[in-house]
Amino acid sequence: MPRPTATLSPLLRADGSASYTCPSTGCLIMGSVNGPIELPGRRDAQKPEEATLDVLVKPGTAQAGVGEKYVEGILKGLLGRLLLGRETGFPRRGIVMTLVVSGGENGGKVRRGESYLPILPALLHTLLLALLSAAIPMSMTYTATAVAVTSTGEIKGDPSVRDAASAVSFHVLAFSSKGHLLLSQSEGSFDLDLWEQVYEHAYATCRGSQPVTADGDISMIEDASGYNLESFVRKTVEDQIHHDYSWMNNDA
Amino acid sequence: MASPSILLPGDDVLLDLRSTTSTPLKVGAGLRLLHESATSTPPSYTVTAIHAGLLSTDNKRNAISVLSFANHRYIATINDLVIAQIHHSSLDYLHCIVTPHTPYALLGQLAFEGATKKTRPVLKPGDLVYARVLSVGVGAGTEVELVCVNPATGKAEPGGLGPLVGGMVFDVSVGFAARLMRASSTSAPGDTDVIILDELGKKLEHKGGFEVAVGRNGKVWIDCSSNKDIAVQATIAIGRCLTETDTCNLDPIEQRKLVSRTLRAARIDP
Repeated sequence: MPRPTATLSPLLRADGSASYTCPSTGCLIMGSVNGPIELPGRRDAQKPEEATLDVLVKPGTAQAGVGEKYVEGILKGLLGRLLLGRETGFPRRGIVMTLVVSGGENGGKVRRGESYLPILPALLHTLLLALLSAAIPMSMTYTATAVAVTSTGEIKGDPSVRDAASAVSFHVLAFSSKGHLLLSQSEGSFDLDLWEQVYEHAYATCRGSQPVTADGDISMIEDASGYNLESFVRKTVEDQIHHDYSWMNNDA
Repeated sequence: MASPSILLPGDDVLLDLRSTTSTPLKVGAGLRLLHESATSTPPSYTVTAIHAGLLSTDNKRNAISVLSFANHRYIATINDLVIAQIHHSSLDYLHCIVTPHTPYALLGQLAFEGATKKTRPVLKPGDLVYARVLSVGVGAGTEVELVCVNPATGKAEPGGLGPLVGGMVFDVSVGFAARLMRASSTSAPGDTDVIILDELGKKLEHKGGFEVAVGRNGKVWIDCSSNKDIAVQATIAIGRCLTETDTCNLDPIEQRKLVSRTLRAARIDP
């Protein structure tokens, strides 16, 4: 299984930033987070008790359109449950998150009418890492994965854009670090039994261990080293912390 | 501790919270206290991280906090020392910029040492002040108020509060500003990891020295005007040393090397 790569805080002037390469679709996503800031000329968007979230998704070489607005809505809905927008300094301010998609097939452009779901997990991971880098208070972290079901009924993790186009049904699931299902977006035709299988596959990819199923059988999808997406996020953060705090005496 | 513990948001802090000492546990930045169950007696608590970062424990003060990535935005906290820039002036207040793209902080026209209605410092837009955060307001989204004087005594305490005249401001990360502050507050030498200012002070002492003010909002003000010949070079050299220490996470040995290299390049200390 090809693994994603990520860099934390590549941008110096932003409060927090991250870049992320998705191995299956090949897209490179750069995310930056600024907050808490005053949204200029947006008195109407201010919420008196909590922070306003503003997510912007930009395709590499085109203007943002309806597809981007739709995916921004999905991201905003998910983050609204995780960000602690009532901490000191955050009410009545805004958190502005910008994601730029580049690289991959079609030069990072999701063409008009095409689905954003194949790169949604990559967008979610970039956003999470950028938020961590900006030290925005969050109640927990999350991981996300895409699953395609082929015409033969095979469940395929980490589908490429081509797999997604030929799939009978396509699913994106996100799990919090405590195991809650945070997001389930599906396309195509499927029944509930199939969705259960997809859920188990996605859970194993994101969190490693399987949820206990009714019939008690557990199939191992994680590879021998115990790698899963949650450990990837943790490893990325730990590496950056070790780098940033390299000046600190080890005995301190 | 053997290995530094790195936390992600949502991770519980595994510490024995029923401390044996009499000082109560202080929960600092990046952590929050959650009730495990309100009904049980005695009520049980967990401490959960809300930032990603390194858990730092201070046994003497019985305090814990999470050290996050250095580059994040400064959020005003009471008693922090900041460097603010005047944006405009109104009848009672000076409106100051503490961080970009945030509402102005308020600084009273008379909140200076020895200021009265007749004698008060006249500050123009763009001037700098070294100020203390007096209050961040009660409730949601209230204004940050700054002072340049201790309201109880009428003196500029701690020393150096007030307008900053001359000199130059350098932007550093919020984490590095906190490190500089910590380095200056610990008295014992060799106890800190930022020795760059001490080292620069030693090298520039016979050239007239320099003045420095560190703001928690990621700003460092430097003034070398005591020696007219090298004022500009020295200011730039000190600023370069600070920004490079910040961006490259230099340890004390590398900081010493950087100081001599930069001063040589600026032709101050052959």
